[in-house]
Amino acid sequence: MRIRPRWKKVWRDLWLNKSRTLVVVLSIAVGVFAIGMIMTSYTILSGDLRTAYLATNPAHATIFTFDSFGEELVTAIERMPEVKEAEARRRVLLRAVTGPEDTRLLWAVALPDYDDIKIDKIRPLEGDWPPPEHEILVERSALGLLKAQVGDVLPVKLPDGKIRQMRIAGLVHDLNAAMFVFDGVSYGFIHTDTLEWLDQSRDFNELRFVVEGENPSRDYIQQVANKVRDKVERGGHSVYFTFVPEPGKHLFLDPILVSISVIMGAMGAMALVLSGFLVVNTVAALLAQQTRQIGMMKAVGARTRQVMELYLATVVLYGLLALLIAVPLGAVTAFYFSRFIAGLLNFDVTSYRLPPNVLATEILVGVLVPVVAALGPIFAGTRVTVREAISAYGLGKGRFGTSMIDRFLLVIQHSAALRRRLSRPLLLSLRNTFRRKLRLTLTLLTLVLGGAIFITVFSVRASMMGTLRSWLDYFQYDVAVQFERDYRVERILQETMKIPGIDTAEVWGFYNTRRERPDGSHSDNIMLFAPPPNTKLVKPTIIKGRWLLPEDEAAVVVNSIVLRDEPDLDVGQQIVLKIEGKERPFTIVGVATGGMPMGTIFANYPYFARVSHNVGRGQYVFATTKIHTLAFQSEIVRALEEHFEYIGMDVAATAKVEEEMGEVEALFQVVIVLLLLMAVLLAVIGGLGLMGTMSINVLERTREIGVMRAIGASNRAVRRVFIVEGIIIGVLSWLAGAVLAFPLSYYLSDVIGKQFLNAPLDHTFSLPGVVIWLAVVIVLSAVASFLPAWNASRLTVREVLAYE
Amino acid sequence: MVNGELLMIKSLKQWFSRNQKVTDNGHYRYGNEHLIELRKVVKIYEGAAGKFPALKGIDLQVDTGEFVAVIGKSGSGKSTLINMITGIDRPTSGEVLVGDTAVHTLNEGQIAEWRGRNVGVVFQFFQLLPTLTLLENVMLPMDFCNMYRMREREERAMHLLELVGLADHAHKLPTAVSGGQQQRAAIARAMANDPPIIVADEPTGNLDSATSESIFSLFEDLVRRGKTILMVTHDLDLARRASRTILLVDGEVVDQLTADEAHARLMAEEASHAH
Ligand SMILES: Nc1ncnc2c1ncn2[C@@H]1O[C@H](COP(=O)(O)OP(=O)(O)OP(=O)(O)O)[C@@H](O)[C@H]1O
Ligand SMILES: [Mg+2]
Repeated sequence: MRIRPRWKKVWRDLWLNKSRTLVVVLSIAVGVFAIGMIMTSYTILSGDLRTAYLATNPAHATIFTFDSFGEELVTAIERMPEVKEAEARRRVLLRAVTGPEDTRLLWAVALPDYDDIKIDKIRPLEGDWPPPEHEILVERSALGLLKAQVGDVLPVKLPDGKIRQMRIAGLVHDLNAAMFVFDGVSYGFIHTDTLEWLDQSRDFNELRFVVEGENPSRDYIQQVANKVRDKVERGGHSVYFTFVPEPGKHLFLDPILVSISVIMGAMGAMALVLSGFLVVNTVAALLAQQTRQIGMMKAVGARTRQVMELYLATVVLYGLLALLIAVPLGAVTAFYFSRFIAGLLNFDVTSYRLPPNVLATEILVGVLVPVVAALGPIFAGTRVTVREAISAYGLGKGRFGTSMIDRFLLVIQHSAALRRRLSRPLLLSLRNTFRRKLRLTLTLLTLVLGGAIFITVFSVRASMMGTLRSWLDYFQYDVAVQFERDYRVERILQETMKIPGIDTAEVWGFYNTRRERPDGSHSDNIMLFAPPPNTKLVKPTIIKGRWLLPEDEAAVVVNSIVLRDEPDLDVGQQIVLKIEGKERPFTIVGVATGGMPMGTIFANYPYFARVSHNVGRGQYVFATTKIHTLAFQSEIVRALEEHFEYIGMDVAATAKVEEEMGEVEALFQVVIVLLLLMAVLLAVIGGLGLMGTMSINVLERTREIGVMRAIGASNRAVRRVFIVEGIIIGVLSWLAGAVLAFPLSYYLSDVIGKQFLNAPLDHTFSLPGVVIWLAVVIVLSAVASFLPAWNASRLTVREVLAYE
Repeated sequence: MVNGELLMIKSLKQWFSRNQKVTDNGHYRYGNEHLIELRKVVKIYEGAAGKFPALKGIDLQVDTGEFVAVIGKSGSGKSTLINMITGIDRPTSGEVLVGDTAVHTLNEGQIAEWRGRNVGVVFQFFQLLPTLTLLENVMLPMDFCNMYRMREREERAMHLLELVGLADHAHKLPTAVSGGQQQRAAIARAMANDPPIIVADEPTGNLDSATSESIFSLFEDLVRRGKTILMVTHDLDLARRASRTILLVDGEVVDQLTADEAHARLMAEEASHAH
């Protein structure tokens, strides 16, 4: 086959300028890689999650009761025409002893029939199945929390302090357990026959069901759930909580995946735009360098369109070469990345593939983006006429001395004071930096964006931590104890204060309630906190009305989220809450902000105790400790547990603030890792861009390098001029990046806060981030300009003379 | 053997005369009797220093088969003048007629294609695309102008390289051959599409005299084969061997002189400047 000479030129230009080709190809590849990897990961993760989730036959709704119910109720519910399947289980809260000083909450779930689990199926992984009597099958993600192995005997503390030795008989996977991993709560399955041994009734306290019909809507499910709840309540049981998740979506994992993909999608798009900039830069330089060749082609009869075709073909080839690198690399990385994320979220990725739509997108993006980016420079560069190309005139571009910056630099140079301080080569580097302004702008833009994102990631991290802190600050307790049942308030306080190291203690009421709206419908769940009058452990900011007074009876302070969800409410109005099956009216006296981003209501404890028929009694104690470290808090908690056990008060659960912090941090860590990954990717792009620019600069200044040589510049001096130029660019980008990072991190904190926590984060700007990026950018620019500088210093005089 | 050579020269002549069509009454399409006619061509450059007239109303006629040397001091407008003929530059006013084409009326794209087929250009410096072999460089004009069938192109390019004595170097890159060889390759390339006119701007400008001589005799050869050649040169000895010499002084054609007269005039002028 015969190849036209012009196409041979295209190919040889690519081949003979390997380093330039490499820079452009890598620039495109980074963008394509980011897009491909993100799309593939998301497709795999969401596809596999959905398949796995649906395979568990997920419950449409779950009803938690305070008291226990029997099989008859389950059968009755299942007989309802709207209900397709119903299944009940018993959930027992225990404390596993994980060390001489440490316990860990353990939910032990008893399923009625392990050979025929109907709803929210679990999967045996290892060891026995079903759980043998007096033994437990642990959810695989909990193994680490329990610091135990299969086969180990796990001491378990019952509420009254009794210890039972349970062997870990095997491992199971429960896709729906993921949320507990992040809560730091361990999770396992036991046989119904084991319940008695744990001082528990064999009856159920949790009802799960699936409604009849194809793809029911959430509203419909809610209606059915209300009917079921009413039926349960009519049966004489009190419902603690009705839970209706978005059907077909994993409650916890789905939003995380969406958030992750939103963040990564944005970053991928950014990477793509930046790699477009790099293409603009290199193609513009390529054309500038080939001006004479273009002129010569036109002199022998090439029309502008033909020349444009040549360079467009070059760019398409760059794109195809980039695909060759980026597609397989993206697929492989997506494989590891999906596995990593799935591992964090406790589900299994079963399918590894390159989805055809992703491949199509990659090809489109890999070819189209560079072509679009190159159109401008190609239009401009191929318009050159033969006369411009062969004459010395009309090639004045890039001449130094015309613009404001140039004059400014000349002023610097002419200032005697500065001249003494700045060395000649440094001045040369400075002036070179500003010679090609468009190229400099694009290079800077790439680095600036990379840097801004980098600093933003650090700021978002700081903001997340700050926000968490402020939530926990809002509740100023160090440790909390939940008892198995109500005890007298004075007794709780008295016994708590006996522990040395405890500063203050308060008994609070807690209630999971709902607003009964005037139209008969009801709101989502709202947390009701009932602190004692003049509490010192909570300090919400009042934005409207006032805080509770000791004499307030049926008065509440609501937080802004309640008002957001129930817009008809305001200060002075009535809110009806359902407490212990009765509807209780309260007057709203104030609106508070701060704290957890969920609907929250505060009422005075004495009044709440009255309406909940619990006067003088309580179940939760919150205390502050003299020292606020995790070690001290752990010590106090252990002392409390021992003491309560000794005096015969049954502890159900304990909490330490520092530990809770750590657990939420772990969730954020996933996001931070992702963001850092992206920051690194952008930094790489920035570095590539700088490398490209510097090698173009070296090429362009070949003659100058010859001159520098001729007047006695050493290899080192030549190299230094270029490396210093690179570092000047890097530092400039750092300045601009730090400024840009400010609004950017503000914005991203908002977005991420809303995605993950339903509330904007309190904004913190990370100064360490700024400093770290300065260090990174200096190293990066030195490294990026080293190779071009090295090439420059290796040019022989002969090559310089032969250069065209 | 001799017969074979004659046959080759004959066939070459046929090739080289393909593009020359003169209308029946001896006039070209725009009424021009000469192959190249410049009528009152003015070129004014507008630079930072204001307007500069590089050509001040040039009238010039060149006939088929002429070998014209353009001489003059540096800056006298030689390059500007021949760039008018190749369409590389446009007149500010006046007409440039080459054969059946009014060059000054064409747009950039049309000029490029027209030039590719009708005028071969040779410059002083930088001629060949550095990443193509000599052979491929010679094929390039055929490629861009879609002349000859694909299979013929290589054969023809090889033939032209033979003609300039570079057959052995056909597959080398330009950097691997000498300056004179590059220049000869450029001449071969100028003939790729078999144009009736060849325009060369100081083709021997940076070559030693022996190499210049070989280039020049190549041109003489082409004239013998019916080509029309315009060549800018500083070498008065070479200029003397052309069939006609044009002396440019400050953008004006001083006279259409014999080479010796032109020589004398140029010397005189340079001498007067020296004082
Ligand atoms: N693009 C331009 N802008 C302004 N002035 C120009 C431009 N091109 C040429 N000139 C001026 O026009 C005049 C003629 O230039 P031209 O290149 O034709 O000279 P030349 O005779 O070819 O000289 P040389 O022997 O040095 O090649 C010169 O004085 C030159 O300065
Ligand atoms: Mg000239």
